[in-house]
Amino acid sequence: MEKIEHTTVSTNGINMHVASIGSGPVVLFLHGFPDLWYSWRHQLLSFADLGYRAIAPDLRGYGDSDSPPSHESYTLLHIVGDLVGLLDSLGVDQVFLVGHDWGAIIAWWMCMIRPDRVKALVNMSVEFHPRNPSVKTVDAFKALFGEDYYICRFQEPGDIEEDFALVDMKKLVNGFFTSHNTRPPCIPKSVFKYLPDPPALPAWFTEQDVCFYADKFSQKGFTGGLNYYRAMNLSWELTAPWDGLQIKVPVKYITGDLDPTYHIPGTKEYIHDGGLKKHVPFLQEVVVMEGVGHFLQQEKPKEITDHIYGFFKKF
Amino acid sequence: MTSEVREKKIKTNGIWLNVADKGDEGEPLVLLLHGFPETWFSWRHQIDFLSSHGYHVVAPDLRGYADSDSPPTHESYTVSHLVADVIGLLDHYGTAQAFVAGHDWGAIIGWSLCLFRPDRVKGFVSLSVPYSPRDPNLKPSDLFKSFGDGLYITQFQEPGRAEAAFAKHDCLTVMKKFLLTTRSDFWVAPPNTEIIDDLEVPSTLPDWITEEEIQVYADKFQKSGFTGPLNYYRAMDLNWEILAPWQGYKIVIPTKFIAGDKDIGNEGANGTIKYVKGEMFKSIVPNLEVVVIEDGHHFIQQEKSERVSQEILSFFNKLRNITE
Repeated sequence: MEKIEHTTVSTNGINMHVASIGSGPVVLFLHGFPDLWYSWRHQLLSFADLGYRAIAPDLRGYGDSDSPPSHESYTLLHIVGDLVGLLDSLGVDQVFLVGHDWGAIIAWWMCMIRPDRVKALVNMSVEFHPRNPSVKTVDAFKALFGEDYYICRFQEPGDIEEDFALVDMKKLVNGFFTSHNTRPPCIPKSVFKYLPDPPALPAWFTEQDVCFYADKFSQKGFTGGLNYYRAMNLSWELTAPWDGLQIKVPVKYITGDLDPTYHIPGTKEYIHDGGLKKHVPFLQEVVVMEGVGHFLQQEKPKEITDHIYGFFKKF
Repeated sequence: MTSEVREKKIKTNGIWLNVADKGDEGEPLVLLLHGFPETWFSWRHQIDFLSSHGYHVVAPDLRGYADSDSPPTHESYTVSHLVADVIGLLDHYGTAQAFVAGHDWGAIIGWSLCLFRPDRVKGFVSLSVPYSPRDPNLKPSDLFKSFGDGLYITQFQEPGRAEAAFAKHDCLTVMKKFLLTTRSDFWVAPPNTEIIDDLEVPSTLPDWITEEEIQVYADKFQKSGFTGPLNYYRAMDLNWEILAPWQGYKIVIPTKFIAGDKDIGNEGANGTIKYVKGEMFKSIVPNLEVVVIEDGHHFIQQEKSERVSQEILSFFNKLRNITE
């Protein structure tokens, strides 16, 4: 872990903290919510050993990267702009791209609007859905799952931050990362007053890991990460030019059968029966890992490294 | 001529646009995008000419103008919104790839279309406004500050300011001040002067436009006002933010740039004409032809209508391997 280099790169008007190691073709790893470069700690080391240059930033709003104050600075176009600037400053023309959770959404959109910068993509957990021109993103979630659905609860600035603050940070981190609850996360305010103690830590998530996350989020807060959700309707408006356009990059998609995303009604059929392939015609492989939850790259680091490497070495 | 032009409302990207079209719908589609402060009527000569030379010509009133919808706030006037409006039109006509020509703000929309959806553009003609490299460290409003408060773009920023200044003149006079200008500076007004008061109306009309034609514009703007059109300027900083992913992007689509040598911003050593003939422009738009029309001013497709029509036709025909 000590061999991982930490640098700050100036890109798209922000300072971005980047963890990197190794030399060779570049693999860019994009974390999700509420996560950090640290999510990829195992893959950074393995890919360096495999002859790649592995790079994992703290995305805008997270960890040691800048957090512009307004949610309007967190649209898909802002984040992809950050990454294009990062690649330009590294002198890298094309990357292998890996995304998880929000990082997967960013990765889908980087492939949509700058396919020329991506050689191939391995995306995890969140599949690509085309924009619905008739209804804004958050409005659609509210109609489907109600106003206590986590995405809806995350909208009002300050509101969910207040709820999170009621809970001990380490308990919150444990709850986020290790839960294998597959029900759609509806979190009415009452949930935070009487949160049960989480079970004992699983083998793959140590006390040290909990402390790392707890420290960073205690310093930084959650607002930066929450701003991605608060910018969803704005991103919906701004991505109208790409309605109907397919993603034309070779893709491998991986999820866990205990990932709550996989259990959203309609998702299994969408992934396995051709829905996803219609929008991502070069989708080459779909993997569902048994007994694995949302944070695949941490739960099964070796298997995920093998899956990613197995795909990228074809190119 | 314009009596044979069809006009209809088309729903696109959540709004209704008024769209003029002429020509055989089976022919290749040419999309014409007007500038500020204009309407589809600015393209009347090209609509007629191109439709009688084998093209289906489509020219909308853009968002905020004339008989098209005008969403109230400037945040709805980014290049994302404008390009999506245009994509919706192409979808409506079932056109996979279009020939596109844009003038002034219409050129900016065209350039953005080339960045966002190169798959939908066969060839692009830009009138007046070239593609400039984005400066990642300087947003437009900071760049404009260096020109002072007299710069028209700066004066157009504050909601209501330009509207109030324009309202001191009748719409016909406002249109004459814009359409008939022969100024080649960057449109900077003297201190404590609104640009609309600084622009002059010549004592006689030039031969390329009639009083009745200018009245067509005046009637439209009398009804729809200028806030929609001014909102394009008010969204310039947002556009700069949105364009970050295309930092340094080269536009490889075949492109032709046409401008009059006396267009706005062509005075002096660092004018537009110098830029478009230079290495920087060629490096970011490598597949480029440049045509400079002598004695041409800003509203070039009206002032030099035959020349511009021919230049557009020959360019699109060449891309179709048609030679006359």
